[in-house]
Amino acid sequence: MSLLTSLARLRALDEGIAQPIATVRHVHLSARPMVFIPLKLSGEAAAPLAAVLGTERDRPHLLVVTQPRNRDLRFAWAAELAGLLLPYIEGFLAATETVERRNADPYERALDAPQLVLPNPAGVAFTRLLGRSTRFRRADGPYPVPASVPLLGRWLTYFGERAAFPGSSLMPAVTEELGRHWASGQSGLEDANLAAQLGWITEGPSDDAEDPLIWPPAGPATDPGFDAEVLAPAIESGSAERVTEALRTQLEPTWRLMWRAIDLLAGLPEGASVAQRWEHDRGSFSGMAAQLAEGAPPQARRDGAVAAASRLARLERAQAAYEVQRAYDDPLVMAEHRLTGEAFAGEVVETDPEHAEGEGRSRKLRPLVVIKTDDPVRLAPGTALGTPQRRAQGAQLVSARDGLVTLKITKGMGRGRTPAPGSVPEVGERVCYTSLTDDFQGSAALPEAEATPWTHGGPPREYEPGDEDAREEWS
Amino acid sequence: MNRLDALRGTTPQKPHDARAIAALAANPGCARRALLDGAGIDKDAAARHLGFPAPFGQSPFAITRGNVFEALVKADGCAELLRMLRELLGLPIAEVAYHDVENVGAHLRHAHTRALFDRAARDGGDAGTVYDHPLLSLDIAGHTAYLEPDVVAFQLGGRFHIVEIKSFAVIDGQADPSAVAAAARQAAVYVLALRRMLRELGHDPLRVAHDVVLVCPENFANRPVASPLDVRRQLGVLERQLSRMTGLDRLLDGLPADLTFDLLPDEDGLPTRPAAELADALRGATARYAPDCLSACDLCFFCRDEARQEGATDLLGRHVRDELGGVASVGEALGLADGARDPAEGQEEIARLLRNAERLRRECLA
Amino acid sequence: MSDRLDQLEARIDELRAGVRRAMRVKDTATARALRAELRAAERSWDTLVTGGLDGSPRVPDGAPQGLVTVREQAHQALTLLGAPAQPRLIAAVGEAFLGGTLRGSQLTSLRRDEERSFASSPYGRPYYLCAALTDRLAPARGLLTVSTWPLERRMVGPLSPRVDFLTCAIAVARHLSPDPRAARLLARMARNIPGGAAGDLGPPDPDRVIEAAANELAVHAERDTRDRADLAERATSQLDDRARLFGGTTLITVAGAAATAANGGAPTGPPAGPYVLGAPDKGAGATAARTKTRNTPTRGRR
Repeated sequence: MSLLTSLARLRALDEGIAQPIATVRHVHLSARPMVFIPLKLSGEAAAPLAAVLGTERDRPHLLVVTQPRNRDLRFAWAAELAGLLLPYIEGFLAATETVERRNADPYERALDAPQLVLPNPAGVAFTRLLGRSTRFRRADGPYPVPASVPLLGRWLTYFGERAAFPGSSLMPAVTEELGRHWASGQSGLEDANLAAQLGWITEGPSDDAEDPLIWPPAGPATDPGFDAEVLAPAIESGSAERVTEALRTQLEPTWRLMWRAIDLLAGLPEGASVAQRWEHDRGSFSGMAAQLAEGAPPQARRDGAVAAASRLARLERAQAAYEVQRAYDDPLVMAEHRLTGEAFAGEVVETDPEHAEGEGRSRKLRPLVVIKTDDPVRLAPGTALGTPQRRAQGAQLVSARDGLVTLKITKGMGRGRTPAPGSVPEVGERVCYTSLTDDFQGSAALPEAEATPWTHGGPPREYEPGDEDAREEWS
Repeated sequence: MNRLDALRGTTPQKPHDARAIAALAANPGCARRALLDGAGIDKDAAARHLGFPAPFGQSPFAITRGNVFEALVKADGCAELLRMLRELLGLPIAEVAYHDVENVGAHLRHAHTRALFDRAARDGGDAGTVYDHPLLSLDIAGHTAYLEPDVVAFQLGGRFHIVEIKSFAVIDGQADPSAVAAAARQAAVYVLALRRMLRELGHDPLRVAHDVVLVCPENFANRPVASPLDVRRQLGVLERQLSRMTGLDRLLDGLPADLTFDLLPDEDGLPTRPAAELADALRGATARYAPDCLSACDLCFFCRDEARQEGATDLLGRHVRDELGGVASVGEALGLADGARDPAEGQEEIARLLRNAERLRRECLA
Repeated sequence: MSDRLDQLEARIDELRAGVRRAMRVKDTATARALRAELRAAERSWDTLVTGGLDGSPRVPDGAPQGLVTVREQAHQALTLLGAPAQPRLIAAVGEAFLGGTLRGSQLTSLRRDEERSFASSPYGRPYYLCAALTDRLAPARGLLTVSTWPLERRMVGPLSPRVDFLTCAIAVARHLSPDPRAARLLARMARNIPGGAAGDLGPPDPDRVIEAAANELAVHAERDTRDRADLAERATSQLDDRARLFGGTTLITVAGAAATAANGGAPTGPPAGPYVLGAPDKGAGATAARTKTRNTPTRGRR
């Protein structure tokens, strides 16, 4: 969180309504999102209690484990969940495009991908655990489950892993996404309460949001008072209807909030890089589907050393790219970098479009631009710059003093003796330049998995899920 | 310590438990909490009486689950626990002696525990191995808090180990970090209490290992698994905080002489003191509210309400407060940002940043 | 009918909210009254929604199946085991070998009933389910024994819990039946005996379990036998008939009394609340301590 966001929070607190901290939407929103609100039994790691899910706001599907300690009912619940989620997920595999790759075979990429929308990060974590607890099950052997259950487990595991990938929109958590676009007048901790956060954005704060009788928690944990006073007696009564009705009361309010939140996010124009990140999501999704089709084993319990290191490197790269893209897409995000002096914006006051360096064959066109800015520039001469206004352009800082910045354009103005039309900003134009750029160092060279050094455990054994995985208790 | 008793007045003292003691370290700068805890005041009752009941509760399912799991670990003479101690710490096969300290009446349990541990520390070889629910004590600002660790194990190289049984799961070798941290803080309280007991008895306190044994269910089953947990850091924090508690005198000196947090309970234990009067009294001791209090302190909603009325930047979290460089009120910070207010000495830099931030926000949202 | 249902649902919601509000301010009297009303409303709802077809009222938990049955089942299980055991193990043996439907919770009050019966007509029954005695000759928490056993067997020295566990494991292995529940019970015991289990999977080998348990027993036997003999001698000389069966002092219910005043043993489940990240310093106090019961029997966790 930056000072800019802190200021927005102060303003929100003062005005009694959340303040925008983004001018565009940085998350992809599916035309047909699968809203998924799971509940778990308190005190258990991954014992599902209920879920409401669906792609249409007026058709929520409620799934309930009416006797949460019964293992068979739990797997039956997982099978029901699979019956709803798998057709949704697999429905995106039919329509594909062929993607050509350099030095590799072309592959098929789904034109669209599924999107599971969860209320909060805890819901995302629980979904991942659901995946972990079901992906090793088997349809045959001593404790058989429906074949759809392990398949669901592998997909949920995949979605869970992908959710940790910065900028991925396959399984967003609503409170996080709202928090990326609005600053409420409360702390980040309190923003984890969906009703409270949404209240700040829409009507302004209300103590009702913290009253579990009015707004039950958005899961996966249930309200302890509800557990004691409603759920426990209902389970004890042995009446499936009563348990179902009790859980419905806990899920319905959140269901409405979720769609409200989606509407709010949909009201923002989409950021320029969102489609590109979604394309990565689609590629990744197709890759996972291909692995499943090829009969690959379930994801291992733990990554080997090389896999873990390369995963970490990928996450870091994605994080950096995501931050840069958001800044380029959104002046309000860029403003954070302007505040710290890594970016500046202002009006072009002077240009020398035909300025060149060197003579004869080594003569290079280097148009000069002078910008007047109020921003505190903290960039050294020679710093490479980019600009959201012309994403292909490269520039270099020449000097910066007294609110005047001179820079020379080094890339993206054509190959002629004079710059291509429109490639150099005109006098009077408002522009922004920043030292943030989207090109990264390549990843550190990691050995192949087979060459894992002994310091890191040596080459990992091929992962073969065993009987033990399949029979693991789920109690 | 008479002054602390006066603060509590006629309200019965609320004994500390390990979690409460561990939580003392959560917000060391809060004078209100230090005084209330030092005087042994029931913060939960006070908060409810003030109309700000704390937002915590525990699900009966979680409680049952915890009890069932503890029973399972200890069933059949701690059969599961012995297996884990043998595997994890190399406990010799011959060491199986089990003492159920809870077999002794409540009033004798602490003395019995002392006698057992004294004998263990003295005789070594012939002492017990597993002590179920011993009762330890710890002095908090002049009052004795009684503490009941799940198990204390002895005979691992002549050292005592605290065994902490928790029902959160360890999945593929990983557990919820916040749950582990809470367990470590709680276990540190037991380590400290046991060390002090040994010192009083004339033994080397360091015979209590700083590695506690954390027992949790593994993956999704009920099967227990043990892991060692180093609590040296938590011990350090705790000792520092407790030594500060004994320095309550300084806090007391700053209070009006007639200040009391007495709830004036009637014979049914229900508070009769006017809530507004109690609220005024509490405001006499300065709080340091932070959103973290919402998960740690019974009075959190009262203090949050106070912070709201004061328009304190504390409401937004420590991070925001730190970033504002100590500008304590929302109005002041916004005034600096708008330029409506001139920076006081030392505020020039934060004022410049805020003005710049305000300019940028206006520009981008225009 | 759906009108009635709607009305009832509205009423139920109202009552629930009332109960929870009352609970929050710890107004237990109001909560209790509202709760009773709530249960009545819920019962009406149940009846109405099932159309009165499934009108068979469920047998409430713990319904009397006849004390004799429970008692006799426990007796048989203990006889099979041949050593003092906890309700949990007794129930598991009853289920696995005797086709019983015993639940651990049904055994908790058994000892007190037996003591009462003995007090009113000593030795009126052929056997009593009675206490194991600690080194203070007091009843040991949560252990059941049979009065017809030799006194030594009913004594609990420091090593006895382990010795009894190993003895029970051998008994279970000897009686191993094809019932999968028996195999599961043995597997669970076997993995806690060094060398008792080959791996984590597959059915346990009873001979292997017996051998492993016997090996460990040999390590403890001498001292345990001596301890027990000493205790039995003391019990014979110091206790009257009744105390010899049910313990030297009156039955202590330690957990309840001690907990309120001095409980630090917080429930092990994580606390919950809207903002709980770590653990609040809640729950370990009086409320949770009172709800905490020792030796909570498990039931139907499969």
